[in-house]
Amino acid sequence: MKIRHLLASSTLFLLPLSACGSSDDGTSSSEEPTELVISTWGFAEDFFRKEVYAPFEEEHNVEIVLETGNNSERLNKIRQGNSSVDLIYLSDYYAQQGINDDLFAEINYDNIPNAEDIYDVAQAPLGEAYGPAYTISQLGIAYNPEETDVDITSWEDLWDPALEDSIAVPSITATAGPMLLDAASVVSGKDQFDEDEAFAQMQELNPNIVNEYSQTSAFVNMFTQGEIAAGPLMEMFVADLKEAVPEASFVSPEEGAYAVMNTVNITADSENKELAEEFINWHLSAEVQKASAAAKIDSPVNTTLDLSEEEAEGLTYGADTIENLRVLDIEMVNEQSEAWTDRWNRELTSN
Amino acid sequence: MRNIWKYILILPGLAGLLLFMVIPLTGTIASTFWENGRFTVNGYLEYMQDPYFLNILWVTLRTSLITTLVCSILGFPTAYFISKTQPRVKMLLLLLSIFPLLTSPVVRSFSWMVILGESGLLNNLLTFLGIAGPLDLLYTQSAVTIGLIHLFLPLSIITLVGVMDNISEDVTQAAESLGARRSTIFWQILLPLSIPGLLTGSILVFVGSFTAYTTPALLGGRERVISTFLYQNAMTLNDWQLASIVATIMIVVSFTVIGLMNWAADKIAVKGGKLSG
Repeated sequence: MKIRHLLASSTLFLLPLSACGSSDDGTSSSEEPTELVISTWGFAEDFFRKEVYAPFEEEHNVEIVLETGNNSERLNKIRQGNSSVDLIYLSDYYAQQGINDDLFAEINYDNIPNAEDIYDVAQAPLGEAYGPAYTISQLGIAYNPEETDVDITSWEDLWDPALEDSIAVPSITATAGPMLLDAASVVSGKDQFDEDEAFAQMQELNPNIVNEYSQTSAFVNMFTQGEIAAGPLMEMFVADLKEAVPEASFVSPEEGAYAVMNTVNITADSENKELAEEFINWHLSAEVQKASAAAKIDSPVNTTLDLSEEEAEGLTYGADTIENLRVLDIEMVNEQSEAWTDRWNRELTSN
Repeated sequence: MRNIWKYILILPGLAGLLLFMVIPLTGTIASTFWENGRFTVNGYLEYMQDPYFLNILWVTLRTSLITTLVCSILGFPTAYFISKTQPRVKMLLLLLSIFPLLTSPVVRSFSWMVILGESGLLNNLLTFLGIAGPLDLLYTQSAVTIGLIHLFLPLSIITLVGVMDNISEDVTQAAESLGARRSTIFWQILLPLSIPGLLTGSILVFVGSFTAYTTPALLGGRERVISTFLYQNAMTLNDWQLASIVATIMIVVSFTVIGLMNWAADKIAVKGGKLSG
């Protein structure tokens, strides 16, 4: 009896193992790996290769191929049609453009169980059918306390005359541009976004503005060279800033910092949709989210993580922080972007 | 037979030009006249009546004309000096003068940022010597002009040296022996004979600075030039129709200015030729 029982249980135990073994043999040695093309920014590539791509490649017999570049370049490539990209990482602003142009496939969240563990605001921020945000950062103000006496605590402080000729602002076509415009509307005293008031308020900011930036590296350069003392900046780049200027400081303005969401979507033409969903699920997993946070690459959205104060340093972390972020209506921003760009050019930048 | 071969040999080049220049350019230009399947010049009319765009066009034109003028003025004596040196020294000097062309415009612009910045080399020197307080140089059109001159001066020098090499010493010596003053030699012999080099150099410098993107983008701050405006339309607003219209306007303006330069060069050359002949 005993022996038979043991045998039975051992065969039961062995069965799945042997099944595993044969399927492993089938996929890893005889079949060619599937190619999964990911379009992304290209920063921290070493980290992603090692901690995110390599384990996934091994587990699913996949070869991950990268296409890198900034948001608009990569989105335009997909727009023009002849691209083999399966997954595309974009800021929410550009992802919304992709959705409007029908460039993305609808996502089946049944295949992405980890999405249930992430902040509500990060779950499908652009509609149920589209990709989640895998990281949330915030747009606040970075400043150098040694270059200015202004004690910056709010968006309104950027308008302080003591900051004459000392700030850089994001250009209207950058992700952060519309956020600053919204902040201007808030500073002007409006509860609801008011375009005319916002532009009038921005005009009053002109004497303080040295330059606009559309890439964060330009901001870091101006900051390091002492051309500017302050300006709106996303928290995820503060580490770069501190590396160059250790005394640099970052604040979440009193009126509320802005949520900056980076999303991942599957292209409409992808032939590896399920695999791509599997990858998204992997990127949202506690394991990857924890590794990204530990390496200070991306702030986590997975709520099951528990970071110490030290681990959370420099990250946008914690339910309190996330819930207090101001979230722009990305669809409205996209609709208005051309009109705003035109007004911005004419009213703010021409002499 | 030989003649046929001559034509066959230019076929690959011709095909390349046709495929990669004539067809795409025609396509770009043609697309600006069509909207919703109809012929229209509305796009152009709108631009030409828009003070904002006209201002950008004017700023770009002014900057590139100043750059062209300064490059010619600085390039002329330099090229003359180089062309009169021994062959060995000449090689060295030529190499030194084209050296800026060997570094990327990005690197060059960054070095100007370090020099022109608020706490940069130049401002530190001016403040130290008590000449002036920190000047706003970086992120202005002056910074762009300085960057462009640095970028394109080598082109002026090289083309001028090529032409001046061919001006025979005998001509100037003959003039001198007949009692011509130095200024007369310059105005009536050297300048007219250098016109072809001056013209080629100026066209290269003008077209280069009129269409330059990196230098104005990095040194120019908030004020736009035509190429950064085109980039904004194409890449961030995804409005290729407007971008094509701007591109066509750039082509037309370039050809107009080149035509004017040719005309002016003819005038000077004819005048010089008459006087010297």
